Formats: sequence, C-alpha cells, structure tokens
Amino acid sequence: MTDALLQVEGLNVSFTTYGRTRQVLRDVSFSVAAGERVALIGETGSGKSVTAKAIIGTLPNAATITGGAIRLEGREVLHMPPGEREALKGTAFSLIMQDPLSSFNPVFLIGTHLDDVMRFADRRRGVRASRAERRDRIAAVLRRVQLADPERVMNSYPSELSGGMRQRVLIGLALLHQPKLLIADEPGTALDVTTQDEIMNLINQLVREEGMALLMITHNLGVVRKVADRVVVMHHGDIVETGDCHRILGAPAQDYTRALIDAVPPLYGPRVTTQALTEGAPIVEAGALTKTFGRRRSEFTAVREVSLTLRKGEIFGLAGESGSGKTTVARMMMGLLSPTTGQVTFHETPAKGRPLAQIVYQNPGTSLNPKRTVAQSLSVPLKALGKKGAVRQVRMQELMALVRLPVSYLGKYPHELSGGQKQRVAIARALAAEPKILILDEPTAALDVSVQKTVIDLLLQLREELGLTYFMISHDLSLMRNFCSRIAVMLRGEIVEEGATPDVFAAPEHPYTRALIAAIPVISDDEERMKPAVTDEERARTLVATTV
Amino acid sequence: MSDAKMLLDASDREMSAAYMMWYRYSRKPAAVIGTLIVLSAIAMAVFAPWIAPHPKDVGTVVNFRARHHAPELAHLFGTDQVGRDILSRALFGMRVSLLLVLGVLGISVPVGTVLGLVAGYFGGWVERVITGLTNVMLAMPPLVLALAVSNLLEPTLTNAMLAITLQWWTWHARLIYAVSKSVAAEDYIEAARLSGAGPLHILFREILPNCVSVISVKTTLDAAFVILLGATLSFLGFGVKPPTPDLGSMVAAGRQFMPDYWGEVLCPGAAVLYVTLGFNLLGDGLRDMFDVES
Repeated sequence: MTDALLQVEGLNVSFTTYGRTRQVLRDVSFSVAAGERVALIGETGSGKSVTAKAIIGTLPNAATITGGAIRLEGREVLHMPPGEREALKGTAFSLIMQDPLSSFNPVFLIGTHLDDVMRFADRRRGVRASRAERRDRIAAVLRRVQLADPERVMNSYPSELSGGMRQRVLIGLALLHQPKLLIADEPGTALDVTTQDEIMNLINQLVREEGMALLMITHNLGVVRKVADRVVVMHHGDIVETGDCHRILGAPAQDYTRALIDAVPPLYGPRVTTQALTEGAPIVEAGALTKTFGRRRSEFTAVREVSLTLRKGEIFGLAGESGSGKTTVARMMMGLLSPTTGQVTFHETPAKGRPLAQIVYQNPGTSLNPKRTVAQSLSVPLKALGKKGAVRQVRMQELMALVRLPVSYLGKYPHELSGGQKQRVAIARALAAEPKILILDEPTAALDVSVQKTVIDLLLQLREELGLTYFMISHDLSLMRNFCSRIAVMLRGEIVEEGATPDVFAAPEHPYTRALIAAIPVISDDEERMKPAVTDEERARTLVATTV
Repeated sequence: MSDAKMLLDASDREMSAAYMMWYRYSRKPAAVIGTLIVLSAIAMAVFAPWIAPHPKDVGTVVNFRARHHAPELAHLFGTDQVGRDILSRALFGMRVSLLLVLGVLGISVPVGTVLGLVAGYFGGWVERVITGLTNVMLAMPPLVLALAVSNLLEPTLTNAMLAITLQWWTWHARLIYAVSKSVAAEDYIEAARLSGAGPLHILFREILPNCVSVISVKTTLDAAFVILLGATLSFLGFGVKPPTPDLGSMVAAGRQFMPDYWGEVLCPGAAVLYVTLGFNLLGDGLRDMFDVES
C-alpha cells in the first residue's frame, strides 16, 4: 500500500470534557488511493467527522491524538511542523464544507471571498499574481462547477444565491488549487433532494475529470452508492468493515452494516411496506385555501387554492421541498394559522377542553423545554385536562409505557436523553392531550436512520392501539412510501399530484413528482432502474435552477 | 450539528448539569475569589456591630481630642475630623452599600423581568408600550435622574434607593425582553400552548427558567454598579444623611484632609473597590458557569 494517497494507520483519538476522558476513535485504519472514491459512513457519534478533522488538522481543543499515523503522499502529517502542514491545505487536499450558508461571511461578496482564499494560498506558495489574473482563475473555477454566469456570482452576496448555488461555490472553493484529495463532509445534507442529487452528480464528474481522490463523509447510504467505489463503515469509534461499495450494500458481512442498510426505507422492491388505504369519514376538509404573506409590494403567495380532505384513521402525507408551502397548509388545516381566503371545516368536534390535533415537531432538541424535566413537560397537557395528583402520576407512567421508555426517565432533563428518546417524549406529550389527529412535521428528519426506523415503527403501533389519524409533512419520499396510505405532492404552493401512495409511486403523473422520485438516493441498482424517467426538459421546467 | 459536537454532547449526557456547572466554576480562580470576596463583604456588613473595634463611633460621637489620629493599633486607619474610628465607620458603610444593592435590585430585577417577559411573549401593542417606555427611561443618564430625584426629596437611604431603582429596571426589562422574544419563538412554547397551557404558565414556567442564567449574571454585575452609583450620590451629598456612615460620604469628608490623613479616604475607597471587584469577578464566573446550556 505504498501508492496510497492518504493512509490512516491505527489512529486513536480521545476527548477530555469536564475532567473525564473518553476514547472516540479506536485503531482507525484505512487508505485512499490516488483517484479513488472512498466513503466514510456512520451514524451520530460514530467518529466519522472526528476522523476527517484529524486528517485536516482541525480537531477541537478537547481532543487529543493518542496514537497512530496519518500519511499524505507518504509523508507523516501529524508530526509535521505547523507551517509545512498548513501548506498542504488546498493543494494536497481540500475540504468541501457541509453548510453552504454559514461557510460564507455574509458581508463579503462571493468574489472577495474567493479572491482572499486564492491570495492567501498564492502567498503561502510564493506565487505572485495580479488581481485580474486571479479573477480569471476564479471565473474558470466557477465555470467548472457549472455556474453559468461567474461574473454575476462573484458580484453577489451569499444571501443572494440559492442554497444549491452556494454549495457549488463551496465546491469551487475547494478546487481552486487542483488538490489531489477532496474531502467532503456531508455535502448537500442541508439541501433539497433534487438539489443534493445535482451536487452529487457534479462532485462525481469533477472527481472523474480532474483525477482527484474523494473522501466522502456521510450518513446517507443512498449517497454512498452514488459517489463511492469503496466504503468504510464506522460505529462508536471503530471501523466495522471496509470493502467495495456494491459488496457492502449488497452483501454486508457485519450485523451492524446489515442493520444500517435494513433501516433505510426502500423506494421500490419487495421490502416496501404498503399502508392500506382507509375509507374513513372526513375529519377535516380544506376548501380552496390560499395564504398570502407580506403586504403589497413584498406580497408572497405561499399557498394557492389548496383543497384537501383528511379522513379518519388514515396516514396522509404532504410531500414537497423547502418553500413549497406544505407546513403552511398543515398549520391552516389545524387552525393554527388563518387562511387569507378559503375555509377549513372540522367534521368532528373534540370533547370539551380537548384539542383536535397535536404536533410532533421535526427537531426534538427544540420542541422540549431544556429547563423542564420529562415529567414537567408531560404534566402541562395533563393539567389542562384536569388530571391531578395520583391520577396524573398514573397517566404519566402509562404514557411512558406507550412510547416504550422506562418510567425512571420522568425525572430526566432533555439534555440527558438521546435524539430518539427525546422524540419519544415529544410523542408522549402530544398523546397526553388525547388528540384525534397527530401532525407529524418531518418527525424523523433530525434522527439517525436506525433511530428513524424505531420511531416510525412506534408511530405505526400507536396508530393501531389508539385509532389515531396522522397528517405527515415531509420531503423524504422514500420514508413516505412506506409510512403513508395516501400522499399529495406540493410544488410552489400548489398541489400537483394526489393519490393512494402505491399508485403515485408506480405511475407518477406530474413531471415534478417524477423528478422528485428520481432524485431520491437509493441503495440498490434494482431500485435505481425502477425509478420513473424524467426528461431534461421536464426537470428544467419544474426544478429550481442552481446554475444561474 | 457536526459529529464532533455530537460526541461532546454525548459525553455531557452522562453527567448532571450541576456537575458540569461546578466543574466550569471551580476551574475559574477569578470566580472562586469573587465568591469569597462577596461572602466576606456580606459577613463584614452583617456582623459589623460585633467586629468593628469602636461600634459606638457610628453614631453622633464627637471626640475632638482624638481627631485625625494617624493609623495605629487602636485605630487601624486612623480617625476622622471628629475623632471617630474610620475602620468601624467603613464597616458600617458597607452595610449601607449592600442594603442599597438589596433594595434597588430587589425591586428592579423582578419588575424588569416581568415587564421583559410580558413584552417579549405577547408582542403587539404591549411590546410597543413597554419597549417604548424602556427606551425613554434609558435615554436619561442615570446619575442625572438620580440627582434630580434625591434633590426633590430628602437625602435618605430610601430615597437614594428609589432614585436608582426608577431607572434600573429598564436594563433588566430590555435584556429579558430579548431573551423572552427568542424563547417565545421556540417550538416548545407552541407545543405548550397547543396542549392547553395558559399565559401565566408559559411566562413563568416555560420562559422564565430559560432566563435564570442571564438574570443572575446581570444582577451580580449590576450589584457592583449600584454600589458605585450609591457611593457617587453620597459623595456628591445626595445620598445618605450624616451621621449614618456611608462609603461615598466618608470619601467626600476625608478628601479635604488629603494627603496628610490618607487613611480617611483610603479605607472607605478600598472598601468600595473590594466589594465592586468581588461582584464583578463573581459575575464573570457565573457567566462562564452558565455557558453550559447556551
């Protein structure tokens, strides 16, 4: 393995916080050959980002490298003088950052930002270039990342570009000095699936054309299949297995990898679960809802003429990308927001003092008050229902049992719980109010894929036990395929497609639905083949352009 | 959130919040020293009658034979122009300063906090009225306002307190308003409202606990300012009436006899410095300690 571009050998890293030391990486070894694409995958806390940070040299102060070696082109970087190591940045390797918004200083023009980076790198390497020369080089790089009008991009502020365009600029930034290794930390995670798909295509193309090696850090197995030749699976600081991408995804050798793959909701094929369509009576009916925000000049119509019926006992899914108006529709249907025009009819009136609907929010980190214990959070709806003393205590214990959490957790604060546990508490709180409908606002988007599966299974069981109706809002179509009995797809404030879930996925009518489904990263070639076909013209017509 | 941050969080999960706070606090020598200073200052004020070498000198004692004694064992910082022990009077002066802090912050912190919470949560005209009033009050220089009030009324401890309080609540109102407004936008506030919680519950049970760290840091740092402001008022002759010993008026009285009888200025001056320094160090320490949750 002498020809490896990057070689990590027996890397051990530990973190010391509040006087206690924990080992977060144990004997991590892998290599990336020149021109090879390697994906480092793992869930939260697996140590994948720590590994990347150790390579780049940006570990937090709390971290200590306790052993091992990292070699770039055969040179050991860990014991290099800081100046020498600094000189590797941008030339030997380069980083594509995760968050396209926070990676730019909002008060500088994109052109200024890129020029600074180029100037600093030039100075480090003793290159002298005029401003005009640098500008030409920058324009060339922006063209490489398929930004059609580099001049306009350079004269824009970060806030004036879309998320997809910013991500392209970030990739361009990493390409400025033709690095041999590109390290990408969860690129496109914050973007919509369709944009993410384009970004992955771009990275793939660049890596191939420039002959760069790629180290991709991700939790998304679908992305892995798309951009990696070889996969390194990490779990709790250990490498679980390493191997060819198709072999790992198709026939994993380790139980952990298998569990990870099984937790990914399938889009097509025999593993898909279909929720039966229930022909219950309508609970909520929305007629021609329109919502306009802002006044006169800055007026913006978020939702246009949307009519929907929610039936008793069904799992209805409203799909759409960010800004499509799906959350606004859900809020109007539940009476949390009044429509500008149109009306909402409730066919079922809740018992006195009982709300019809409760919400389970996307991020359990922000939907639970950090200063209140689980018991205190649960007591709010119980108090509102007039439950006191022992009755309240018993009900709390029932609720904990319902969401499969130990009763002892009642005394814990949110920061003592994991993401999945927090989301269970949030579900318990929603159930405490005894609603008829549960609004699920991307309930698993902030969770790891294996945790996501357990939460979804819990929600399905709860629906059986309590006879609830679910209204789910999500951008994750593969999740909705398995969870919803009926779905509607929203595009720019309008519903473009609606129907029983299997029908919509088997034969999507609207080009946008097709483009959306086609962009979902899947983990098997079979699924890839079963995706609907989209023409470039259809794609251009329905998707937001990220190149101009 | 990055994976590294998650890992740090995961290790935090195994520890109690109290332990993490204690850990941060105990590793800040300045904070520990601040605590010791504040505690000792409080002890000195509370036990002044017992530890002062000449507790009688606090009243209207005149002993011209002992005037302007140089520092000696019986009078560590000497005596003033009517022969009273400077150290004893300074100890009682700290009592006045701390009482002033207690009075001013005891009223302005709760008032400012409630107004800030209400303005931040309810918004609309309530917000406009409260923030408007706050801004108008903030536009007036505190010392000028305090001077005006104590000029109109008698110069007593209560009136000095009143004069400072009149302006002080605005700082807390503005600070808590900002916190309350951002907390009010959190999902958990909407969730509480959805599950049937009333406004009182939301204000005091959901939002207020999230303001506690900010309030305690601000209050501690404020204590130092209030002591300085009170001393300034007394120095200018608008504070506590003689013969009640006050650090500010003691400095003012001793000033005429500088530099010959330096102890008369140095002792009360040092007392002001000691207490303000203590509160400032403690405030900084608290800020680091509470950083855990933010």
